Amino acid sequence: MGREANTEPKYDLLALVTLDKSRILGGKQLTLLAKDEEEQKTMTADIAKALKADVVKMNSGDYLVIRV
Amino acid sequence: MDGMLSREHTILIVTSIIVGTLARIITIKEDFRQYPSYPNGYLIHLVTGFVAASLGAVAIPALMTKNFVAVTFLTLAIQQFRDVRKSERESLKDLENTEYAYRGDAYIDGIAKTFESRNYFSLIVALATGITYEIVDSSAWINTICSAVVGFIILYILKRFSKGKSIGDIAEVKEAKIEVKNHELYVDGLYVTNLLGTENASKLFLEEGRAVVIYPKKHHFRVTLENFGQRQAALFEATRTLGVKRYHFTRRDFENGRVVIALVPIINDKDKLIEAVKKTPLLESTKKSESVMNSNMVGRE
Repeated sequence: MGREANTEPKYDLLALVTLDKSRILGGKQLTLLAKDEEEQKTMTADIAKALKADVVKMNSGDYLVIRV
Repeated sequence: MDGMLSREHTILIVTSIIVGTLARIITIKEDFRQYPSYPNGYLIHLVTGFVAASLGAVAIPALMTKNFVAVTFLTLAIQQFRDVRKSERESLKDLENTEYAYRGDAYIDGIAKTFESRNYFSLIVALATGITYEIVDSSAWINTICSAVVGFIILYILKRFSKGKSIGDIAEVKEAKIEVKNHELYVDGLYVTNLLGTENASKLFLEEGRAVVIYPKKHHFRVTLENFGQRQAALFEATRTLGVKRYHFTRRDFENGRVVIALVPIINDKDKLIEAVKKTPLLESTKKSESVMNSNMVGRE
């Protein structure tokens, strides 16, 4: 995506919010395990608001909080 | 009175300075859209224009008094104009982080070059005014009028010569339909981004988002329009004109050369958005001449 989707090609992956414990593999970003989908959405929105970041919903159901 | 300027030379210099400075005043208005901080920026460029005109104005009396060495100060003028370009570039780069979208290096380079060349306008116009004053052999009034007329004709020619085109000249700009499917943004069926991951983001874009699609009029215009710097410049003009509540994207379609610009503007006016994109200047660094590209090179079929 990079230069194609937005003009500033710097991306920071800030958080991953998942429902699947096996996908928590570590890394620089904050990774959180939610109980259910509702909690996952709320957690994602809270983090995104606090960090003034954007949210990507992945096809796997996980949410990424990224800053462009 | 030895060593003092003659009355004739004084009138010549004053006329040339006035016409040269007027040349800068007239051309500065064209840059209003590109101007970062106009009250003070305006003054800075008027003063540098005045200095440029002064340098052009005194060149002829210097030559007429056989002071040939003095003409070398024109090299000083060129150095000074380069500094104008440099300071303009630095100033615009400093502002990059405060704008809604980035201008981009290509656009900044274009603006800085324009400011430099406008100072040459003042210099050349003042020089032409001075030469005409010296050539026309009549009363002071006639000389002044003739030299001013020639000065403005030179200005008109220079303006025509340096006038660039805009996106509207080589492409159609039309409003486009926004869709959000599974938190992914599509504009006229073209995928743009998946950054709308929350319900709020999707809702905001659907309700308040605006998008336009740029259609190149000819196939080879794609080379210019799809240039990253050119698209960034268009996005910058759109966001600068309408403001941004949240999100701004550009995307290009590899198949048919469409370029998408999408944003959630503060002023939700589709006509203004189309106009802003249409009036975005074509950057010198992105221009390609089709006729040159078609020419045969030596040794080739």
